[in-house]
Amino acid sequence: MRVLALARPEDPAQAIAAHAADPELAFIAGGTDLLGLIKDSAARPGRLLDINHLPGMSGIEALPNGGLRIGALVRMGDLAAHPEVRASFPVIAEALLFAASGQLRNMASIGGNIMQRTRCAYFRDEDGLACNKRRPGSGCSALHGVNRNHAIFGWSDDCVATSPSDLAVALATLDASVIVRGPFGERSIAFSDFPRLPGETPERDNVLERGDLIVAIEVSASFPGRASHYLKIRDRQSYEFALVSSAAVVELEARRIRSARLALGGVAHKPWRLAETEAALRGAVLDDTEALRSAISLSFAQARPLAHNAFKIELAKRAALRALQTAGTRA
Amino acid sequence: MSIVGQAISRADGRLKVAGEASYTADIAIDGALHAAIVPSVIANGRTVSIDVSAAEQAPGVVAVFTWRNMPRLNPTPNPWSHLHPHGQGYLPLQDDAIHYAGQPIALVVASTLAQATYAGTLIEVDYAERTPAVFGPSSVDEAFDPPQFLWPVNSSVGDADKGLAVAAVRIEQTYTTADRHHNQMEPHATTAVWSPDGSLTLYETTQHIFGAQALVAIVLGVPPEKINVVAKFVGGGFGGKAYVWPHTLLAATAAKRLGRPVRLQLTRANMYSMVGRQAATIQTLSLGADRAGRLTGIRHQSISPTSVYDGYIEYAALGTRSLWPAAEGISTTHRIVRVNHNTPTAMRSPHEALGHFALESAMDELAYATGVDPVALRLLNDTAIDPHSGRPFSTRALGDCLKEGAVRFGWDRRSPEPRSMRDGSLLVGQGVAAAIYTHWRWPSAARVTLHADGTALVEIGSHEIGGGTYTVMRQVAADVLGMSLERVAVVLGDTRLPASHASIGSATMANAGASVMLAAKGARDKAIDLALNGRDAPFAGSTAQDVVVTDGVLTAAPINRSASYAELLAANGLQSLEGEGAYDPVEEANGPKAIFSFSAVFAEVRVDPDFGTVRMSRLLGAYDAGRIINPKTARSQAIGGMIWGVGQALLEQSETDPATGRFVNRNLSGYLIPANADIPELEVLFVDGFDEEASPLGAKGLGELTAVSVAPAIANAVYHATGKRIRDLPITIEKLL
Repeated sequence: MRVLALARPEDPAQAIAAHAADPELAFIAGGTDLLGLIKDSAARPGRLLDINHLPGMSGIEALPNGGLRIGALVRMGDLAAHPEVRASFPVIAEALLFAASGQLRNMASIGGNIMQRTRCAYFRDEDGLACNKRRPGSGCSALHGVNRNHAIFGWSDDCVATSPSDLAVALATLDASVIVRGPFGERSIAFSDFPRLPGETPERDNVLERGDLIVAIEVSASFPGRASHYLKIRDRQSYEFALVSSAAVVELEARRIRSARLALGGVAHKPWRLAETEAALRGAVLDDTEALRSAISLSFAQARPLAHNAFKIELAKRAALRALQTAGTRA
Repeated sequence: MSIVGQAISRADGRLKVAGEASYTADIAIDGALHAAIVPSVIANGRTVSIDVSAAEQAPGVVAVFTWRNMPRLNPTPNPWSHLHPHGQGYLPLQDDAIHYAGQPIALVVASTLAQATYAGTLIEVDYAERTPAVFGPSSVDEAFDPPQFLWPVNSSVGDADKGLAVAAVRIEQTYTTADRHHNQMEPHATTAVWSPDGSLTLYETTQHIFGAQALVAIVLGVPPEKINVVAKFVGGGFGGKAYVWPHTLLAATAAKRLGRPVRLQLTRANMYSMVGRQAATIQTLSLGADRAGRLTGIRHQSISPTSVYDGYIEYAALGTRSLWPAAEGISTTHRIVRVNHNTPTAMRSPHEALGHFALESAMDELAYATGVDPVALRLLNDTAIDPHSGRPFSTRALGDCLKEGAVRFGWDRRSPEPRSMRDGSLLVGQGVAAAIYTHWRWPSAARVTLHADGTALVEIGSHEIGGGTYTVMRQVAADVLGMSLERVAVVLGDTRLPASHASIGSATMANAGASVMLAAKGARDKAIDLALNGRDAPFAGSTAQDVVVTDGVLTAAPINRSASYAELLAANGLQSLEGEGAYDPVEEANGPKAIFSFSAVFAEVRVDPDFGTVRMSRLLGAYDAGRIINPKTARSQAIGGMIWGVGQALLEQSETDPATGRFVNRNLSGYLIPANADIPELEVLFVDGFDEEASPLGAKGLGELTAVSVAPAIANAVYHATGKRIRDLPITIEKLL
């Protein structure tokens, strides 16, 4: 029988050293994803390290430049309700409130949220099917299987999974960074560099190394987040992951777009920024739907649908358009 | 005022919300071992070798059973019958064949569930694998005519082909529905306890205690009287706990072999292979009508999958035999296809809920083709005679359901043109569908005992599966006895009680309820007899007809005398007075009248035209289920059925991996059922009426009826909203983009 030992250190350095030294050890905060993974044998840690009592990771602080530092242990529900988040970064509050359920949001941590693993049914199958993310080298069952919910961008023959975090899609449109403390000290990782594409190593969702502990997420005010929106399209109306979602942040000058940022969820192994679209949107009139539509199309040249998800291309285009125009109404 | 017909709250409501109702796996059995199933990873082939050595050495493990050391089981009865109902004929751990993914290839028994589960992961299996057969569009070519299972497989009245040939307007379309799983809140569980005298007690999650007793007796070779099956509370059945599935046989056999009680509770993933599901269907429906919309011919052909070893038929075209008449004729056929899944089974609402999607979608298509309003089209085709049997319907208030439902729904404010109604940027659609549902008549016995303290006990081998059986049986008995509810207790769910039938097919109120009514009458009449003819005979000289009972007191008004039950029993030196009820109706098919329940369902949806998202905004059901015994529990059944139908319409599908033949989404994360946010305000109308042919209580079936025709009402509303006709369930986003 598998017995899971649980330790509860109060010193971050001790936690980090333990994690660095022990490949069987997993950090646990809210546990809302990890416990499910363990039950499905999609995660098989030998030991758990409860980080809930580590100091300095539970607060939401205003940064001198107007941004926010969000402790990794802040709960989703608390962050969504925070007045400064609601006022200055509605895209974050909306992404959080459209996710999970009230009970889960009261447990799940922000650091854990961006560490969520894919909902790919093959990955999560309790019998352990062929899945390179779960057992590297075993193959990808979804590539030619039931792949309606899978990626249309950036997938590889080794993995077609999508990332489930709504918050990550919102963060991808902001100047956000992940503050990580590791065995060699603290560093800041730009959020755009944090999640990975699957390539030939889909078992790695992000760039973290062993011994790395997420201590906070910082959102800078360098790109104003007030005119923003998170739009989520899903099969049922609550308590369900995105089929396709879109985060949009926009800066307007009169009705023209000075700059815009757009990211899609549910379409790739990481939040998918629409770089070509963003470039083409500069100077476009927000109400000129046709112009916005053609700008959005530019980023879809690289889309590669699978057998069951070609509809996501059109759906994602429409989601991006609606998110952008809705964000614009808040400018 | 009669207690029957009043909105009485659940007798067991407090127990349930307080977590004090003991469901099967909650019942603690001293010394019980725990069993875990090791499922096959492949769907077709055989096991070449199974190495259990590591599992046998694991901590806490008492035994590991595979096909090599599992005791041999007797074959299940053939033909299948409701009286000894097996879920599937292929028995567990009897040979090395693999016919479906998730089939048990080993059973590990250990001191704790965690030990058994872990040891199961240590078992090494080599398979010889063959390509699995899966259900899909090409299955049409492999379909064959099955032997009869429940009803005749095909039907033909008149000349349907001629009816289609002469039609001025014809609709011919193919409609498809998805595999679905019941996903009851309570997973299936069995605890098997053998006594030294060779008798067996099965604590069982079942809707059919006597069926379980009979079937287990046959397969294990034990006299049925030595088996007692107990099910006090069942956490949802929906048909999935109606028959005996392999886990029950495994638990009972392992417990016997080991001489210890064994508990086996299915995991959520086990529930996608150890028990049945609702089979997918491919249905072709042809309607012919004259220009006014009067039907001239109907042809309904359905194909559904079964396992490689059983011939389960989803009778999707059943309702089409009797819902609408057609001037020239009606024909229906059912064919089946063998696939590598386990045997399908009844799931709310078997047969009808699938076939009505095709029939009532096609009726909507006919309404648009003829330009006749969908409600008016159905009223035009209403009938008092069952087109299939030629018998008059006992009662058929379908017209009232349509008319009263339409008024309440505000159907007259609907503009018929698709895409003509909007709410801001959202498209609004309104749809209607009618339904007919089979009425089952089964025998049932019950006992009602009056006690010297003035209380009464109702005993019946029926089941509480969530519908409110404890509540309504108490109501029926209290009504007949002339007693307050608080003085009447009900005992259910034990084969030592008087034998009743399965709690399936919406049959419990009309049949089990009738036996309780008869038993209560028996007890009451004995008490009246004591008053008239017993010791001291307080009502001497009066007649039974003069006696009324109120609040436990019998009164003979003409002679102005009263006596309570307690006084009568005391005067006669009796501790108790028993009434036996034996309800033994003629089968519906052999009766003089055709008995069915009816409904009309009205749905309103809002569709985002950019995203293809369908959101329910209103749902109304109008039901003819005969006399409503308890409007509160009846309404609960109705809203449960409506929500069940929303799941069928918009969300539910068990997806099979094309390469491996496995169900992919075997949990409540991947298999979507409606959340609260998906459900709008639900409105329920009962077109009340006493159907004396259906039951002495006047009640017809309700529970299953309420999940029928929700899907076509929604699909028709989606067409009205968008102009897109979706003929494939569930109606998901990609189908509307």
